[in-house]
Amino acid sequence: MNEELIRQSEALAPQLDSSRKKAFVCGLLFAALTVVGYFIDHGQFFQSYLLAFIYWMSLSLGCLLLLMIHHLAGGRWGFAIRRILEAGTRTLALMLVLGVPILLGIHELYEWSHEDVVAADEILQKKAVFLNSTSFVIRYFVYFLVWFILAFLLNKWTAAQDATSETSPTRRMQILSGPGTVLFVLVTTFAAIDWIMSLEPHWFSTIYAAIYIIGQLLLTWAFAILVGVRLSRHLPLSALLTNERLRDLGTFMLAFVMLWAYTSFSQFIIIWSGNLPEEITWYYARLQGGWQHVGYLLVAFHFALPLVLLVSSRLKARIPILTAIAAGMMIMRLVDLFWITAPAFDKTGLTLHWMDLVIPIAMGGIWLSVFYGQLKKRSLVPLNDPRFDFAALADEVDAHG
Amino acid sequence: MSETESDTYGLMAEFETPEELLEAAKLAYGKGYRTMDAYSPLPIHGLAAAIGFHRTNLPILTFILALTGAIVGYGMQYWIQVIDFPVNIGGRPLHSGPMFIPVTFELTILFAAVGTFVGLWIRNGLPMPYHPVFNVAGFERASQDRFFLCIESADPLFDAEGTRSFLGGLNPVEVSTVDQ
Amino acid sequence: MSESSTSTRQQYTPPPPELGPGQTSHTSITEKITSIVLTPHTPYQWFIVVLIGLMLVGLLQVSIAYLLYEGIGIWGLNVPVGWGFAIIHFVWWIGIGHAGTLISAILLLFRQKWRTSINRSAEAMTIFAVMCAGMFPLIHTGRPWLAAYWLFPYPNSMAVWPQFRSPLIWDVFAVSTYFTVSLVFWFLGMVPDLASFRDRAKHRVTRVIYGVLAMGWRGSAVHWERYEMTSLMLAGLATPLVLSVHSVISLDFSVSILPGWHTTIFPPYFVAGAIYAGFAMVLLLLIPIRRLYGLQDFITLRHLENMGKVMLTAGLIVAYGYFMEQFIAWYSASVYEGFMMQNRMFGDYGSFYWALILCNIAIPQFLWSKRVRRNTVWLMFISFVISVGMWLERFVIVITSLHADFMPSSWDMFYPTFWDWATYAGTIGFFLFAFFLFVRGMPVIAAHEIRTLLPFGKKEK
Repeated sequence: MNEELIRQSEALAPQLDSSRKKAFVCGLLFAALTVVGYFIDHGQFFQSYLLAFIYWMSLSLGCLLLLMIHHLAGGRWGFAIRRILEAGTRTLALMLVLGVPILLGIHELYEWSHEDVVAADEILQKKAVFLNSTSFVIRYFVYFLVWFILAFLLNKWTAAQDATSETSPTRRMQILSGPGTVLFVLVTTFAAIDWIMSLEPHWFSTIYAAIYIIGQLLLTWAFAILVGVRLSRHLPLSALLTNERLRDLGTFMLAFVMLWAYTSFSQFIIIWSGNLPEEITWYYARLQGGWQHVGYLLVAFHFALPLVLLVSSRLKARIPILTAIAAGMMIMRLVDLFWITAPAFDKTGLTLHWMDLVIPIAMGGIWLSVFYGQLKKRSLVPLNDPRFDFAALADEVDAHG
Repeated sequence: MSETESDTYGLMAEFETPEELLEAAKLAYGKGYRTMDAYSPLPIHGLAAAIGFHRTNLPILTFILALTGAIVGYGMQYWIQVIDFPVNIGGRPLHSGPMFIPVTFELTILFAAVGTFVGLWIRNGLPMPYHPVFNVAGFERASQDRFFLCIESADPLFDAEGTRSFLGGLNPVEVSTVDQ
Repeated sequence: MSESSTSTRQQYTPPPPELGPGQTSHTSITEKITSIVLTPHTPYQWFIVVLIGLMLVGLLQVSIAYLLYEGIGIWGLNVPVGWGFAIIHFVWWIGIGHAGTLISAILLLFRQKWRTSINRSAEAMTIFAVMCAGMFPLIHTGRPWLAAYWLFPYPNSMAVWPQFRSPLIWDVFAVSTYFTVSLVFWFLGMVPDLASFRDRAKHRVTRVIYGVLAMGWRGSAVHWERYEMTSLMLAGLATPLVLSVHSVISLDFSVSILPGWHTTIFPPYFVAGAIYAGFAMVLLLLIPIRRLYGLQDFITLRHLENMGKVMLTAGLIVAYGYFMEQFIAWYSASVYEGFMMQNRMFGDYGSFYWALILCNIAIPQFLWSKRVRRNTVWLMFISFVISVGMWLERFVIVITSLHADFMPSSWDMFYPTFWDWATYAGTIGFFLFAFFLFVRGMPVIAAHEIRTLLPFGKKEK
């Protein structure tokens, strides 16, 4: 059985490799434009770069969190997309490198990194223990260390499980995932505060990091659907990622669309009704000068439309529609992060710079090329997992013809 | 013959397992019977489809009711706070959109849930104080551990002799006549 | 991999089954579940609980009568703590109700089969807990019969309307919708089981009663099809509803600008707290009932363990909420936020805060251990501690924020009176009384759903 699965997976390797090359070429082309952009407009380059970084970072991290949730909760969906998630976590090394420009551009991005600004601002002085350049850089590496350890162990043990019929690697993954999730959420919370919330250093919101983490998972579901639909056309995943299972992934995406809307609306209504000067500024900047239209766009296409389409089990069972929603979701996640970050820099009104599109595409091309390179390295279904009997599933599929 | 048929609601076969009932229902449908029903103590996946019932349109009802609830909810608040009795509270706008969302949401759910519940019983024709199938001896086990298939006399193919022998051939525990 | 070092502890073991070995056929399931109710024999423990419940209900009646006669001055409310036990217990009870909807709706959507044996009793718990919760806002108006026109929008002789920009009105809509939908969902689930009761009842009177309640259900395949669809849709509607109810309740606090109340994490953190308290109460009730009626085949270790896991998860989310409040109170660099946290931890009510941390965060960490999750005594103990902890949480939120707000000249302490406690104890009595009546007279386990757990359609190997 296992040999057959490995053989089937290997048969797909050329296809994945050609995707890898395409993504890489695309990434390289746009990266060239990015370099041009850097010399044209320094400040804008870093702003767009931060957007691209937190967007692709959220996909890597979403893969890691979802992988741990799968180990805790089980469920067939997890076995179907596990190799996609695992390959996604193996992009973290790339992201560590790609984040270095943020550290170099800290003075371009973060107001609190300027000593003269802090000296003139009583509130920033109180926060200086936390918000200062040195500890920002140190924390950056600490976060990555934690994520690395989790991703490394999970990837190591899943490979070990592929090679043995012993069940201990699976047990280890289960044991790690509980505390791993706790650690992940704590670390990612601070990463969200450091990288994004501190762009407006006076402003604060307790639910902020939770919204970012939910956004990560939403992006990951959309991505898993897109890659999953593609892989589901061929063995070995065609037996596991049936249309019914893809529909389940759609249901999970719906759940996170709703969670995103719920947490975002909670933050909005509490701040809007409190109307306190230290809080409302955040929404004040985002609800006028053209930014409100981006907000309406989010309500319509990040929430209302996917909700209506995904709620109908008949519509979401149709693969082209599901694919379209997932693709739309990937775009809307970028729009959401754009709406969150960009008004922090420019309070005069809505502006969309060409680099806001080019840099995310450049980084995406490189991210995807690493992802596909990693995906083709292993069997596309996890082997020997005691919680999941692939042979029985294959029989079931045969029985249904 | 015609006199006995009008006294008869149909013929009922009793089975021991859900698998047998599902199989029998499929065979009866294949034989051409259309006016029949199956009775079981648990929902059996595919049984309704086997006797020719394909889709319920309850989801459409739910959707319409949800929409109605949302419009009623928001409309009511708008009319009360902006048109009929405008009061300035803490300088908040009269039309405070975000503040109207919670009640709108609750009414959406209330309308949809209660409406679907009522719709279910109307479509199922319940409560119904009398139904002929309860006349069959042993039918009380339809809510416990036995499985029944009833071919009704209203079916054009129904014929007391032929239908009885057809049901008898499905390996039932018993075939009985259902009195009107 | 070194084979010799892998102990058995390190090996994967499949979870215990959802249905115990004693239940092998449709017949045995039906007999076991109906035998709890359709029997002249009532265990003496049942009478003890119902008697205690009834005595406390008496106390509740006296408390309410005195309240209506004298006014809410009999409670410990005063300036500045104008919201005391009534709101604490309202939130406490509503939270407990949430587990029922979570088990019946969310787990149905996720196709978690282990919900089938606990959903019915958890839903019943929801209904009675919401009743208890609803009493507090009603009686705290002092003259409930006069309160209708500011609660519900109906044309009245004064031509005034409720204020829809107030979260207290959202509460009215959220709680009444929640109660209605839970009731409908609960009844829907019971209909096929009431039909089993009708068909097994020996006595004419019981047969008529269950017959009327079962509405002539005959298990028709077409009916089942619509029934399943309706259950699924009600589950889909109840899931966002249950999130919204405790969120709306959290908005009662958080749309104000009081430090300790006005914080954006409140909605999800209140929902997690509700699930936490709710599962604790489900375990507190089900472990004794499981033993009393010998339901170990239905409520297996799998169920207990899974509930322990859900509690642990909810508890960690609650802990995250506390942590974010602490961190952001510091990070905000706001004088008021900083003082609020300092006062919470080291002020007049500091001991309550640390007791809360002990009950809600420290002790439940034992649930990480599988041994604890599979031990009924441990589970009972932790569930009790969590119930206390969630009470403390509401106490800390309500009282510490109110007793020392922006103006030091108006700071004062809150002292509950005998009648505060008596009303609370009375609702606990009502809850126990109602729940045990339900156990004695209604299908406490969803028999038709349990039947679907029997192997069907599986190929012979």
